[in-house]
Amino acid sequence: MEYHVMLVEGNRLMLEQLAHAIKEAPGFTLAARYQDPMDALGQGVVFHPNLILLDIDQQSGTGILADFLRVFPNTAIICMGERWQSEVASHVVQSGARGYLVKPFSAEELREAVDTFGKSGMEVSSHTMAFFSPKGKSGKTTLIANLAMSLAQKTGEQVGIIDADLQFGDMSVFFNLDAKSTIVEASRDVDFLSPISLNNYFLPVTDKVKVLCGTQNPSLNDKVEIEPFVSVLNMSKNLFRYVLVDIPAGFNPTSIAACEATDTTYLVAMINGGYEIRHMQRALEIFKDWEDYKERVKAIYTRVTPCDIAAKLQIEELMGYPVEAIIPNEYLVVSEAADNGRMATDIQPDSQLSRSINKLADKIIGHKHIRWDKP
Amino acid sequence: MPGERINGTVLTFFSTASAVGKTLISINMASELAKAGAKVCLVDLDLQFGDVCNYLLLDPSHTIADLQKGIQTQGSECDVASFLCPYEYDGTVFYVLASPKKLEEAYNISEKEIKEIIRRLQTMFEYVIIDTTSMFSVVNLMLLDLSTIVTFLGIVDFIPTIKNMKIGNDTLRSLNYDENKIRLVLNRSDAKSRISMRDVERLLGVPFDFILPNDFRAASKSIKTGVPLVLEDEGTELSKSLRELVSRYTNRVYAGDESYETENSGGSGWFSRLFS
Repeated sequence: MEYHVMLVEGNRLMLEQLAHAIKEAPGFTLAARYQDPMDALGQGVVFHPNLILLDIDQQSGTGILADFLRVFPNTAIICMGERWQSEVASHVVQSGARGYLVKPFSAEELREAVDTFGKSGMEVSSHTMAFFSPKGKSGKTTLIANLAMSLAQKTGEQVGIIDADLQFGDMSVFFNLDAKSTIVEASRDVDFLSPISLNNYFLPVTDKVKVLCGTQNPSLNDKVEIEPFVSVLNMSKNLFRYVLVDIPAGFNPTSIAACEATDTTYLVAMINGGYEIRHMQRALEIFKDWEDYKERVKAIYTRVTPCDIAAKLQIEELMGYPVEAIIPNEYLVVSEAADNGRMATDIQPDSQLSRSINKLADKIIGHKHIRWDKP
Repeated sequence: MPGERINGTVLTFFSTASAVGKTLISINMASELAKAGAKVCLVDLDLQFGDVCNYLLLDPSHTIADLQKGIQTQGSECDVASFLCPYEYDGTVFYVLASPKKLEEAYNISEKEIKEIIRRLQTMFEYVIIDTTSMFSVVNLMLLDLSTIVTFLGIVDFIPTIKNMKIGNDTLRSLNYDENKIRLVLNRSDAKSRISMRDVERLLGVPFDFILPNDFRAASKSIKTGVPLVLEDEGTELSKSLRELVSRYTNRVYAGDESYETENSGGSGWFSRLFS
């Protein structure tokens, strides 16, 4: 698709710079450019733009956006500002813009922005989930990887995985990825990033699922600070319909921050003949500090044998808390898949494991099924 | 006092994955050493989700959090022994310093305080055995430094675990400890797995120092009954192996540190006084 761009930018020098970037970008032509938005509103229609880049820094923000939406009802509009502001971005997107872009941008960044937002618009109703395990060895990495694939397949939406298990993150192994950029670089750079540029730090697994990989070796874990990590997490909400965060075991600054910053915290433990349920109860006690913990905190048990309703009820009774999902023990399916960088839900879609993960995906999708109305 | 002062051996169990058997093996190590007549304290430094007391069915009246408060208020006057919980089975006795009962207590114990506690325990016991968590935390790095021997435990189940074992082993070696301070032990060697042990050794670049057989049933039973495998009369292959593992440690420890034996020889009476 060829983009005919109308550029609206108040600053004369910036207008020049952006016009140049548009001309450089393959697949883009500059249809018209205006310093004064009133000129653009009055005259732009003549040039039949199918993409409008609208500066909102110097304008009355969404007021001017509403005018453009009225005059150009069938044209995609991407708003521009000098720095990334997530509130402004979600506000303009909710008002009808496709996305928010930080200026100045390069030809390449423009291309990426349109690729990312062009089809479905920037995400503003993201559902974020953190996966907490008391002691580790919970099966949560397997769960997250397969769940992400299932969510993407069922909804056709973009799904992001953030591997914040800062010492021993396994997501790159699971998906057989050679991570050149990881959460370390993303957190380091986040002050200078917007969702478009952050998108490049995620590695694609499929056209719908992307992974921000964990650190390459344990000594790097102190290179990720909490505040930028949370910024990365928040910015990811603009890229993906679903964001799944894998966090280190136990209570630590990273796991706590991730649970605070996400909508849902899944407590995950593997039934292993020890004191797993008791550990889950202890962990739950801490989350009870949240007033809305009953809605926000959900329990999942893996390697449940036999994996049936009786087992679920028994665990619920022992834990004294509802169990959202139980996942069966299918060691060979999981390990074969993991060793080959593939997903169990792919290799054996009919296995009990795949079915239980698909069932959990249905619950998640049902939970927030209705999207905000697109213009 | 100086005549009675010993600085006991610190044996730490570490891994880069959970559920590899750190707790079970450290409990059996403590039991076997205690059975042989040594003065042993087992310290549960999985502060948040420690399982030592669970596995031994102990309900301790004091924990490391109480000891921490005791040291904070009383300093060197604090009677460390009164915060320990004895475990006894069939005439064998060792002591446990339990992990905190409340999670919020676990969150507030500093590396410095833990170090002080281990130092104090070393003056009271021949062996201080430490169960840890599976990460390179500040506390764990301090413990690695402080330890006489670090047992790095691994299992061979699937690729991500092996990757983390490799990272863990490389990181441990990068700390430049003496070669024989780090012992690489493989647990559950014959568990069903698609990966060969030899391949793992090749990847790690070092052979395993010891290999424990898989006996999930015996291990689970021991956890349920609260009796360490080496204290049970039934001679399972796993308990035999555990005994053999312990004997290797004691031999090497004694062989490598002969002065320790003589230093220690006069102090046999202090133990009963301590816990009378």
